[in-house]
Formats: sequence, C-alpha cells, structure tokens
Amino acid sequence: MLEVNRISKRFTTSDGVIPAVDDISFAIAAGEFVSIIGPSGCGKSTLFNIIGGLVGDYEGQVKVSGDIIHGTHPAIGMVFQEESTFPWRTVLDNVAFPLEISGLATSERLERAQHFVSMVGLEGFERRYPAELSGGMRQRVALARTLASEPRILLMDEPFAALDEQTRLLLGDRVLQIQQQLRQTTLLITHNLTEAVQLSDRVLVMTYRPGKLKREIDIDLPHPRDSEVVSSDAFGRYVAEIWHDLREEASRGIRDDENRVLRARSDR
Amino acid sequence: MNQAHAAAATRSVTMVRTVIIVATLAAWEALALSGLLFRDVVPSLQAICSAVFRLLTAADFYFNLGVTAAEIGVALIIGGAGGLAVGILLGANRFLSRAYESLVYYLGPTPKIIFFPVMIMWFGVGSGSKIAMGAISCFFPIAISAASGIRQIDRVLIRVGLSFRASTWQMATKIYLPAMRGPLVNGMRLGLGVAIIGTLLAQTKLSNRGLGYLIIQAYSTFDMPRMYALIIVLFMLAVAANALIGRLARSRNS
Ligand SMILES: Nc1ncnc2c1ncn2[C@@H]1O[C@H](COP(=O)(O)OP(=O)(O)O)[C@@H](O)[C@H]1O
Ligand SMILES: [Mg+2]
Repeated sequence: MLEVNRISKRFTTSDGVIPAVDDISFAIAAGEFVSIIGPSGCGKSTLFNIIGGLVGDYEGQVKVSGDIIHGTHPAIGMVFQEESTFPWRTVLDNVAFPLEISGLATSERLERAQHFVSMVGLEGFERRYPAELSGGMRQRVALARTLASEPRILLMDEPFAALDEQTRLLLGDRVLQIQQQLRQTTLLITHNLTEAVQLSDRVLVMTYRPGKLKREIDIDLPHPRDSEVVSSDAFGRYVAEIWHDLREEASRGIRDDENRVLRARSDR
Repeated sequence: MNQAHAAAATRSVTMVRTVIIVATLAAWEALALSGLLFRDVVPSLQAICSAVFRLLTAADFYFNLGVTAAEIGVALIIGGAGGLAVGILLGANRFLSRAYESLVYYLGPTPKIIFFPVMIMWFGVGSGSKIAMGAISCFFPIAISAASGIRQIDRVLIRVGLSFRASTWQMATKIYLPAMRGPLVNGMRLGLGVAIIGTLLAQTKLSNRGLGYLIIQAYSTFDMPRMYALIIVLFMLAVAANALIGRLARSRNS
C-alpha cells in the first residue's frame, strides 16, 4: 500500500550538514498499523513530511499502491505533532474543513463531519472552539478532521506527545478501535515505547544521526487490543526489547545536545 | 461580594465621567459669558446646540457628509487593498522584506500632507486628490499590520491546509485571512483613523465640498457656533466608526 524506497534527506545548517534521514526503506501492507520509534531529533518528522509530500528535495521514492508520488496525495491523511486545530473554527467546522476543500455541499458536509466528531467521542462539543477544549480533545479534533478526508493511509506524527500518560493510553484505545473499524493503513510516529507496542503490528526503530532504520520488530499481541495489554508479560518483553535498541540511540542524542550546549557556552 | 464590588466600581467611573463633563461644560459656559476672550471665539453652549440642530436639519450637511464618507471609503478600499498586497508580499518574502520593509516603517509616520501638491497635479483639485491623500495615509498602517500578521501565522496551520490539498485561493481565504484577522482589523482601525485625517486635511486645504471644507468655510466666515457644531458632529462620527471596527474585531469567530 505505502512504500518508502531508499529515502535520504540532508539539511545544510550553520552547524554543518545534518543527515536527517539516511537511506530508509520500508513497506506497509494495506490495513497494517506500523510505528516508527526513535529519539527526538532523529529525523522522524522529516520522514513524515516527506511521505506526506510537504518536504521536497529528497533522494528516493514514495509509492502509493505501486505508483511513485510527488507532493501531496489524496490517499494520504496527516495528523501533526503540533497543535493544529483552527482556533477560529468550531469543532464541527474544523472537522468539516477537508470536506469544504473538496467542495461538498454544506448539509452533507456537516452530517459527515458530525459522524467523525462522534467517532472520536466529542459529541456535545460540536459548537465549542478549540480554546475551550483540553489538549487531548484538541488532538481528537485534529484526528477527526484528518479522518473526515477519508484517507486510505493515515500518517500521524507524535499526535499524543503533549498529553499525559492516562489520556494517551485511552486515546490509543480510541485510535485502535477506529483503525479496526476503518481498516486504514496507518503509520504512527512516536518516541513513546508503550504507545508503539500498544498500537502497532510492527515497530521500526530509527537511529540518531544519521537517521537510519536499525531494526524491525513484529508485535505479536492478540487483537482486538486495549490499554489493558500494557500489564501483560508479553507487552513488557516487547518494550524491553525495543528499549534495548533505542537506549543507545537516545543516549547519543542526549550527548549530542549536551555537547552543543557546551560548545555554545565556550563560544561565548 | 465581587459582583457588588464591580458594580460599585462601574458606578464611580460613571460618576467621575459625569463630573468631569459637567465641569468642562460649566467652565466653557463661564468663559463664554465672561467675555474675557475675543467676542464669539468661545460661543455659549446654547449657541452651539442650536448650531448643531441647524446643521443636522440642513440638506447641504448631508451632501458634504456623503462626499467625505465616499472619499474616505474609496481611499480605504484603494489604500487597504494596496497595503494588504504589499504587506503580504513583505511578510511572505524575506528578500523583499529586507529590501523595503524599513522604508515602509520610516515612511509610515511622516506627515502625508507634504504629498498633497503632487496629488493635486496628478489627480486634480476634485475628489481624486482627496482620495489619494486618504489612500496614502491608510496604506502604511495596513501594510505594516498585514506584514506582521502574515508572519505570526502558525506555520502548522499552513501545512494542514497544504496536506488537504487546498488551492491557492482556498489557502488565502480559509487559512491566511482568518489567521491574520486580529492584526488586520487592527491595521484597518489605524488605517481608518489616518484616512479620515488625510482626507479631511486635504479638504480643508483645497476643496469646495466635504466636511473639511465646511469647517474651514465656517472658520473663514467667522461662524464659530457652526464650526464647533461641525467639529462635534465629526468627532462623534469618527468615534462611532472606530467603535464599529472595534466591535468587528471583538466579535466571535476571531
Ligand atoms: N528545515 C530544517 N532545516 C534544518 N534542519 C532541520 C530542518 N528540519 C529538521 N532539521 C533537523 O533535522 C533533524 C531531524 O529533525 P526532525 O525530523 O524534526 O526530528 P524528530 O521529529 O525525530 O524529532 C534535527 O536535528 C533537526 O534539527
Ligand atoms: Mg518530530
């Protein structure tokens, strides 16, 4: 369904050339839920934006159903890491946004939007503005808005990163239910071990500078899952296994940060 | 308790306002009656009130008000569209911004009346030169607000629009404009203020119609009550126009 073929992307900055994504390849089958996990700064968002068609000038190819795509593609829906609801629109109008873009008539648009608002569990909040909602609710609005465009492939970049652990687990349940229901091909980007194991059929571990794929782990936990799964033994083993791979990368990232701070200090 | 406090505060504010207004009016009236100043320079309140009444019941006032309003309106449309376009270019393009933005900032506060002779040569002595003065005046605050407005847009909202494959027109109307609304309304407000100043000033300098012309005419025929009446009415209208734009800014959907 989605194929990423030898993608590389370098950024040239005053600090030198950063190999943000280095020769990454993978494929996701229709209906599969795959997570990419890696320490912050390893190039996850860059890869996300390349697949979504918002970053150009990279090496390699992105393919949807076998065809190479350039730029944005109607089959791909994106949920961003940052706060991304439109503050001037109500919940319902936010969710209706992609339908408005595709020129659907008002009544049908609102009806469809309502359906997705209910799907993410926000009935009763249709007329509220984002500023009146909690962070978790706003992320659900963003998710519903992307779902409303009915993408065959759903890309999510750390959608729950800013939320507390409980909210994150419960939203994870919600995402899994929706994914089971819509059978969407899903790529979730995360730096959270629990989230990756809780939700995925497969987890890809990324390295830090250069951003390469280090390992691939199939998560063989029974479906349907819910957040209760986090207390099972198998779950713990998967988390430990991924952490073993991730630890080295994460500590390299932290060391890099520290060095940068030290260098900045000695420059002064 | 808190509510009672707030109500009391509102009451005392109203009280202070009333006292100051009454005191000012009383001082004015005393000055008018004392005859200390040159005759008629400070007309009595009664003379001003009846002048206001005469002004508001005469047809020529409404004709001239219409002329001024139309000139300001057209000036706002032309200067506003120009300011918006230039502001968006400056805000969106770093190169243009480095080349021209400081120029816009420095020209912004300079008095535009110095361009009036040029505008008369270019656009004639009629409405054209008045509109030009108003347009030049409101161009700058609107351009500056639009430039800063476009820069303060949350980048992720733009990426959301692009990810849903919005057209350029949809991006402009559904994302850029609503996201810039606050600074834009503010710019319009400042723009309206200076467009009024620019247009009226031009009317007082060289014109045969418009409220600015009426004021200067009242002045030169030494009809002080009428002049004050015009000033008061004009002042009220300007306050009302500003309040209207202010309400636009505060209304929901912002
Ligand atoms: N537009 C850009 N210009 C320069 N460097 C960038 C840019 N975007 C990202 N980077 C750098 O590339 C690396 C990967 O960034 P990113 O993809 O955001 O990582 P992640 O999402 O995994 O935290 C980081 O070191 C970041 O500083
Ligand atoms: Mg990121």
